[in-house]
Amino acid sequence: MTTFTIQDVTKSFTTGEVTEQVLNGINLSLKKGELTALVGASGSGKSTLLTIAAGLQRASNGQVQFEGSNMTAMTQEEIRKIRASKFGFVFQSAHLVPFLTVEDQLMLMLDVSESKMSKREQKEEVAKILKLVEMNHRKDAYPASLSGGEKQRVAIARAIIHKPKILFADEPTASLDSKRSRDVMTLIRDLTKTLNITTLMVTHDEEMLSYADHIITMKDGLIV
Amino acid sequence: MNMAWKEMKKSKAKFIILGSIIFLVSFLTFIVSGLANGLSQDNAALIKDMPQGHFYMNTDAKQTYNLSQIDPKVQDQVLQENKDAAAFSIQMGFVNDAEEKQHTVAFVTSTDSPLFEKVGPGEIVLDRSLEKDGIKVGDVLTNNQFSGEFKVVKFVEQKKYSHAPVAYINMDNYKEIYRAKGLQLMFIPGQDTAPSITGLQSFSNNEFLNTISSYKAENMSLNMIIWFLIAISGLLFAIFFYMMNVQKIGLYGILKAIGVKTGTLFRMMWAQMFFITITALVLSVALSLGFNMIAPKGMPFSLTIEGTMLLSILFLVIGFIGATLSGLQIRKVEPLQAIQQGDM
Repeated sequence: MTTFTIQDVTKSFTTGEVTEQVLNGINLSLKKGELTALVGASGSGKSTLLTIAAGLQRASNGQVQFEGSNMTAMTQEEIRKIRASKFGFVFQSAHLVPFLTVEDQLMLMLDVSESKMSKREQKEEVAKILKLVEMNHRKDAYPASLSGGEKQRVAIARAIIHKPKILFADEPTASLDSKRSRDVMTLIRDLTKTLNITTLMVTHDEEMLSYADHIITMKDGLIV
Repeated sequence: MNMAWKEMKKSKAKFIILGSIIFLVSFLTFIVSGLANGLSQDNAALIKDMPQGHFYMNTDAKQTYNLSQIDPKVQDQVLQENKDAAAFSIQMGFVNDAEEKQHTVAFVTSTDSPLFEKVGPGEIVLDRSLEKDGIKVGDVLTNNQFSGEFKVVKFVEQKKYSHAPVAYINMDNYKEIYRAKGLQLMFIPGQDTAPSITGLQSFSNNEFLNTISSYKAENMSLNMIIWFLIAISGLLFAIFFYMMNVQKIGLYGILKAIGVKTGTLFRMMWAQMFFITITALVLSVALSLGFNMIAPKGMPFSLTIEGTMLLSILFLVIGFIGATLSGLQIRKVEPLQAIQQGDM
């Protein structure tokens, strides 16, 4: 079942008198419970496509359809609400809030997504997700005391705690060694299946492609 | 979730340092304004402590009370028409104690009025600061221009004029010392508009204070010191809060990326600003009032509750402006930019 569609999306950046065309008319459909990997050389436009899909920047032309609505026509506040409640993000760096414990990072996300759960239910949900990413034993730790792999696990837990419809992952293993990369990818793939999430992931690591259901290769702003 | 509090709890050292700077700056401002107000009070407490009303001096005196002399007929008429009114004079002079040691005083005499001490012939009522010079109730004081002697009957609190203790004396004694035929000034308390009196010019309390040239010059300097200090302290407050928040732009960008409302970030900044500023102000007010109690007796220091409240509100407003200005920067921050800047 298609949950997310990108139609004829273009993106150009203008610096002074120079205009650079980064995306040249992208069409893409994502299905529930599937992990789609975007690959391509540096500068191929894969990260730009991911950030447009995630509502972090706007397309120059084209449409991004999510649950029947055109996101390109939405206001910033409408997009923020979707980001907060329907999307989950895993970035290249974990980008955890330095002054929040592991448990609080997830509680914050539940607050942001305006969860209707009581505090007790929220704590139970947090414990459940932390168990899923095998981080329950570090729930009171601050990001500074976590290893790179642990931080990324917490970032993944934060990205899925509010049961998003789509998980966007931008090079989630780029800062990890190969063992930790495999662990994180296994986790993302398993969560995609278990929670029936649509996952769009950008990666340049060919070893990680084996975890994907679909592989989309980009070159010069086009899907090839 | 109370992110503001959680951040302060986690980054105690950073917030304690910032709070200490705010505390020290506000403490300095309170102490200096206390000293400046003290000096100002020391210069003219006699006049400043009088109720709101209207002062009158002779029109020919050209706004110099020393040159003023109220016509006795006019004085009698005004006193008859205004039961609360008083006529009085102030002159700088000296008294000699039993050991022939001279003490500078401001002699004050007046018609019968609750605003001034009632003193019989040969009696003198002194400001308590002279008690520290060894003068006691019952002591006999002399003056070179006075044929008789003054017996100290009482001390009063905080009656100063031109940085000298006030000495209330009887009108006849005053007239003998200064060869005066009448009194210099009149005062009618508590009327919104000054009643017009032929041959006399009226002044509000503040206007009258400003006719005292030494007071005007000194007060201008002191006010300039206070306002410069407030302006610099205020700028420091605003800059500190601005810097504190601008340093966290990356963090705010990430929070915005995951969907945190900009309004939530503003509330977080304001909560931290108010918590730090109020804590620092409470401490500095308490310490300043403590200083007031332990300050050497001779040191003029006056910090009123109204003054501290006014300064505190001013600092809160300035801190709020600084935090809000940095918030405007944060409003502009693009989540994508923060994500691309790497880990925090």
